[in-house]
Amino acid sequence: MSAEKKMSRRDLLKLAAAGGTGLVMSGLPVRVIAQDSVTIKVQTAGLDDNTLQPVADIMIARHPHVNVEWVVLTGIDHEEVAAKILALVAAGESIDVGYAATEACQLFAGQGLAAPLDARITSDPDQDFWTDFFSDVHPSLTEAMMYEGSLYEPPRDFNAANMYFNTNVLAENGFDVPGEDWTKDDFVEIARATTKKDDAGNTEIFGYAWTNRLWGSWMPWIFVAGGNLYTEERAPGGDWVWDGYYDGDMAADGRGGGFRWREPVANSPEVVEALQLVVDLWQEGVTPDIAMGTGQTLTGFYSTGLLCMTPAGGFWAGRLGNEGMAKGDFDVQYWPNWRNQKHQFGTGGHWLSNTSTAPDEAWEFMKIEVSREGFDSSIFFNPVIITTPSRRSYSQADAFEPTGPANSDVFYGTLDDHPSTSPIPAPPWSNPMTTIFTTYTGFAMSGEMGPQQALDEMQAELESLTNRQPDYYGE
Amino acid sequence: MSKSITQTNESQGGIFHWLFQDTMEGLRRRRAVLGYLFLLPTLLGIFIFTAGPIFVSFGLSLFRWNIFRPPDFVALDNFERLLADRRVIIGLGNTLRFTIMAVASQVSIGLILALAVHRINRVWLRYYFRTAYFLPLLMSGASVAVFMGYIFHKEFGPLNYYLTLLGLPQIPWLTNSDLVMISIAIISAWRNLGFTFLIFLGGLSNLSQEVLDAADVDGAQGFRRLWSVVIPLLSPQILFATVTGVIGALQVFDEPYIMTRGGPGNASRTLVMVMYEHAFKDIEFGYGSAIAIVVFLMILIMSIVQMWLWRSRVFYQ
Repeated sequence: MSAEKKMSRRDLLKLAAAGGTGLVMSGLPVRVIAQDSVTIKVQTAGLDDNTLQPVADIMIARHPHVNVEWVVLTGIDHEEVAAKILALVAAGESIDVGYAATEACQLFAGQGLAAPLDARITSDPDQDFWTDFFSDVHPSLTEAMMYEGSLYEPPRDFNAANMYFNTNVLAENGFDVPGEDWTKDDFVEIARATTKKDDAGNTEIFGYAWTNRLWGSWMPWIFVAGGNLYTEERAPGGDWVWDGYYDGDMAADGRGGGFRWREPVANSPEVVEALQLVVDLWQEGVTPDIAMGTGQTLTGFYSTGLLCMTPAGGFWAGRLGNEGMAKGDFDVQYWPNWRNQKHQFGTGGHWLSNTSTAPDEAWEFMKIEVSREGFDSSIFFNPVIITTPSRRSYSQADAFEPTGPANSDVFYGTLDDHPSTSPIPAPPWSNPMTTIFTTYTGFAMSGEMGPQQALDEMQAELESLTNRQPDYYGE
Repeated sequence: MSKSITQTNESQGGIFHWLFQDTMEGLRRRRAVLGYLFLLPTLLGIFIFTAGPIFVSFGLSLFRWNIFRPPDFVALDNFERLLADRRVIIGLGNTLRFTIMAVASQVSIGLILALAVHRINRVWLRYYFRTAYFLPLLMSGASVAVFMGYIFHKEFGPLNYYLTLLGLPQIPWLTNSDLVMISIAIISAWRNLGFTFLIFLGGLSNLSQEVLDAADVDGAQGFRRLWSVVIPLLSPQILFATVTGVIGALQVFDEPYIMTRGGPGNASRTLVMVMYEHAFKDIEFGYGSAIAIVVFLMILIMSIVQMWLWRSRVFYQ
């Protein structure tokens, strides 16, 4: 009995169609999502794609219905990442959780992109969590994340501008790491003494170096000279956090609802004097030509003994260790005293988007990140510190034990022991402000303009920029 | 009601009849429609991804808009503002200086290299040089800018290291206002050289042998032969390389942004960089669009002017 069966043309077409569909389907990522699953989009910068994974793992373990999708945005500096977030929003994309340092906190808050967190914190049933968190975080960090009375980001990390020393270069020139009460004149003496030039007058080892940006840069000199780019005042409000969570903390006295930077004062005599100092050092060959960027280049020069001093925060400890610098080869000290010893810092954290489609889950992610469990698992803080933890208990000497520096208590001490320490000026228009700041810094540091002329023109541009802004700050 | 339905059916029938008429005329129409159908994807692509954004940009340039608040119609205020914007004027000057330096070096060096490689008889060596010169073009502008930033670093860059070994002083390639644009033009030319080189090499391979033989018979040798015969025959390639080079150079962004971010001061700030800063850093999308329109018109006008200037000097074989 013949069971021969001929395949018709129609059967062949059906088979081809089924096969084709199967091929296409097999090429697609298989993603079975439960009916009630929720995806939150978390913006991360650069390495954060990996560094936040432990937080996502905790989140998913606790809330299996939540998927975390990374939106990776990298940039040379914070303002560039902020610009990319704005571009993303302009293109109609949305994120649930974004990262911002001080540079962009008021930018997102002022534009209404970030949601205030006050109600979420005060109505959280787990008040022990917040009592523990705020008791562990210096009030100046919390205040720096506030805008017009509301908190927009629970601080995750911070970095104050401290002075790093290559201890080998210091020792070769007969210096020890200076004491915490050292002065600007001590600094100049060390910078000049550690600078080494060849016969042709080219500098081979620089006493001091910095990069042209808002944080770090020559901004610490502006602060200790007694100046600032903008007038600094406090917005009213914020009592809910000071009375509710910092009650009894002396460091919280007199704090308000965040900073207001209203009027540019970039050409005040103090700022001119600060710029004159760094221009003089450059003209003497103590400082190399100033480049833009976040200082990755400097890390290499510093670790290879071509540089003695540079401004940096706790983030440099782990990075220098990763560059191969042995423990003890570098150390840190407070910024030197000039007219005062007012330090600057920037802090960072995540903000909750007002356009979030899953705000509760996004908020839960933010909470986990700043929890003790989140800090314990964070790749930012383990196994070495690559940015200073906002929690005091995670910034102690033992955290810096694997890499140094010996004076690691300087990092949190900048907040605890120096009540005048303030955030870098970062109004809601901080992005164009930074462009103006770095542009005129470049004019002065290339010799194209003298410090007074550069700052007069900077002031004029800042005034024009400020006048173009809507009223971000109330009366 | 029934009348309008009848009219619609008649008009539909009319179009089908017009298209599928069994005549030579109908055949021509069907062919024309088919041609337009083939063109449709490309036209749609151009409309959605090129022409559309240009029209939207032009519309945006008439508004003040920061994406978070409703746009305000400001008519031509943005264009008026940019005429007095010092940064725009400086950016324009820097862009034009860069364009002249980058395109002149790309075209001239590309031509010299192509002439040299064309004379090489060994095939494998020609392949080697072709690949070597073209390779930088395959790299992203950003990565080129990053490593060139290290190479051109004044104090720690290898370029100055070797110069000092020769007893020369360190040159502030990227930190001196007078030098920075020249350095960026050199870097850009290095990266884009492969394109013009390949265009010229292709042109040289296709030169009419009869014309070259005639030139030999007439005694044209060496530079005379190059100047009076080869270069005129290469004029279509030179025009193409120049026009595309100018279009690319007027949009320069990657190298100066990554290496200097427009500095020192404004010395390497280009027009596209100014546009980017206003649109995405200052969140002034209307003003940024106005600058984009100026860049677009500048490219359009310069391309037309080049074509016009070259019209009597280009010889198509």
